[in-house]
Amino acid sequence: MPSPAPTLAIDAREVAKTFRSGWFRPRLTDALRGVTLQVPRGSIVGLLGPNGAGKTTLLSILATLLIPDRGTARVLGLDVVRDSMALRRRLNMASGRPSFLWSLRVSEIIAFYGRLYGLSGVALRVRVDKLIEQYELKPYRRVPYSELSTGLKQRVALAKSLVNDPELLFLDEPTLGLDPDVSVRVRAHIAALRRERGMTIVLTTHYMREAEELCDEVAFIKAGRILDAGTPDALKRRIGLGDVIALRLEPAPPAWLGEAPGVLRCATADGWTRCTVDDAEKRLPDLLRQLFAEGVTVRNVRVREPELEEVFVELAR
Amino acid sequence: MSWRADLLAVWAVVVRNALMASRNVFFFFELLFWPIVGVISIGLMTRFLGITPAQASFVLIGTIALSVVNVCQLEVAYAVLMDVWSKSIKHQFLAPIGIRHLTVGSWLVGMVRGGALFTLLAGLAWWAFDFRVFAAGPRAVAVFLLGCFLNAWIVGVFVCALITLFGNRAEAFAWASVNLVLVLAGIYYPVSVLPAPAAAFARAIPLTYFLDAYRSHFGFASEFAAPIATGLALSVVYAVVAHLAFYAAVQRARRTGLLLKMSE
Repeated sequence: MPSPAPTLAIDAREVAKTFRSGWFRPRLTDALRGVTLQVPRGSIVGLLGPNGAGKTTLLSILATLLIPDRGTARVLGLDVVRDSMALRRRLNMASGRPSFLWSLRVSEIIAFYGRLYGLSGVALRVRVDKLIEQYELKPYRRVPYSELSTGLKQRVALAKSLVNDPELLFLDEPTLGLDPDVSVRVRAHIAALRRERGMTIVLTTHYMREAEELCDEVAFIKAGRILDAGTPDALKRRIGLGDVIALRLEPAPPAWLGEAPGVLRCATADGWTRCTVDDAEKRLPDLLRQLFAEGVTVRNVRVREPELEEVFVELAR
Repeated sequence: MSWRADLLAVWAVVVRNALMASRNVFFFFELLFWPIVGVISIGLMTRFLGITPAQASFVLIGTIALSVVNVCQLEVAYAVLMDVWSKSIKHQFLAPIGIRHLTVGSWLVGMVRGGALFTLLAGLAWWAFDFRVFAAGPRAVAVFLLGCFLNAWIVGVFVCALITLFGNRAEAFAWASVNLVLVLAGIYYPVSVLPAPAAAFARAIPLTYFLDAYRSHFGFASEFAAPIATGLALSVVYAVVAHLAFYAAVQRARRTGLLLKMSE
């Protein structure tokens, strides 16, 4: 009886990688220092972190491009070192700085990789045409790669990364350097891949809004370690950034406001009193009731949830 | 991996290399310009020196062989070089492709280019210097070409290994390596004129034996007992060693991160 498909697409434990540079006095750089990461099948997970944090190194190990020094990583139930060839058939990758052979045309690039993944004849033609259609590359199908714009190159890279209809897709900064309108379209494509095909996607990005929009879970990496991981909401709660309630009050805010239950801190600037509370939905009615009771007029109220960017700044400190 | 998948991967490399070869001007120079310049200048030199037609044929066989080996081995080296130049090597090794697919696919294109070059240079040598390369007969020509292609494959795979091991810095090997063969394999002179230690090295090069066998059809006494069998046996050994070296280099590049660095 065949064993059931594992529920985890990625199960990496204590993965470590050190790079050496220089021949005579080698300089050692610890890119990953024991990373443990689990990614459920069918989810979109974002790896966030500052430059040099180890995001691309982790992605490359999981995609079999790098061999880890320590630890184990099972991807789609297969070991990334021992079963690398079998694994490569089932995954693919696109990076934000794509590069392919300069003289090959768009359709030839996709067809080349399609053949490497075992496609031929009509099946290959249909797949190439479909991807070209899907990524709006039809007018450019006979254009050499070197003559394409950055955005088009990115779309070719995405099309190439889907040529084998992968179960797991790695995207390394997929919208890097793209115009905002193209970025929006690329993000829509990524969301559609999971929605329509149930594809597991792991992406790295510097854009917190992108992570917040696309990812079910995010993992923050810094200096080769995962500092925290979870859903964006859970992370915000865990970090304790709280929601911000901004109030325009008349007369001046009462002194008790900063010590009211659930209020973490309060500050007044530009006529606005900004109170950070643990949960705005829970605290706002009480605050307003007490302010009314004291005869304070509330002229305006704004509530803002913390953004992932603030979590990033807090963790990257 | 199934036979079908193996063949498709090889075919993918064949198509890619052929498309690249047809669209880049430096491929044209490799295929036509330098080899033609080589045959004409060497041929004219043989006239100036007033050497016998037999001696001229000796030198011209060497010149043609060198050009064929050079063109074919460069094509094999392009299996890695083109991806290094375009920084797309990580995509290649992300796909389920083995080094055998890369080397065999590019070797097939190299053989087509080498075969076309051989025919062209043979025609030129006949027209300009009255040297009939095909006079040895089709079987001898086929064995000679096989020897040249096998040597090109081996040198090209070693170059791929060096590039994968050292990155762009090793690029020069692609063009320099064939000159080592030129000095040692008896391209312009018999191996017997080499100093003893160099002659020992020459006897370790398969091309030496294929040249010896082919020249025997033009009246030169063979220096070796069974040159074709020896050349083939050596080629098989070197081909295996070269592929093991290339495989080890790719694995090392996956460990050191060079595979990624070459894509940045």
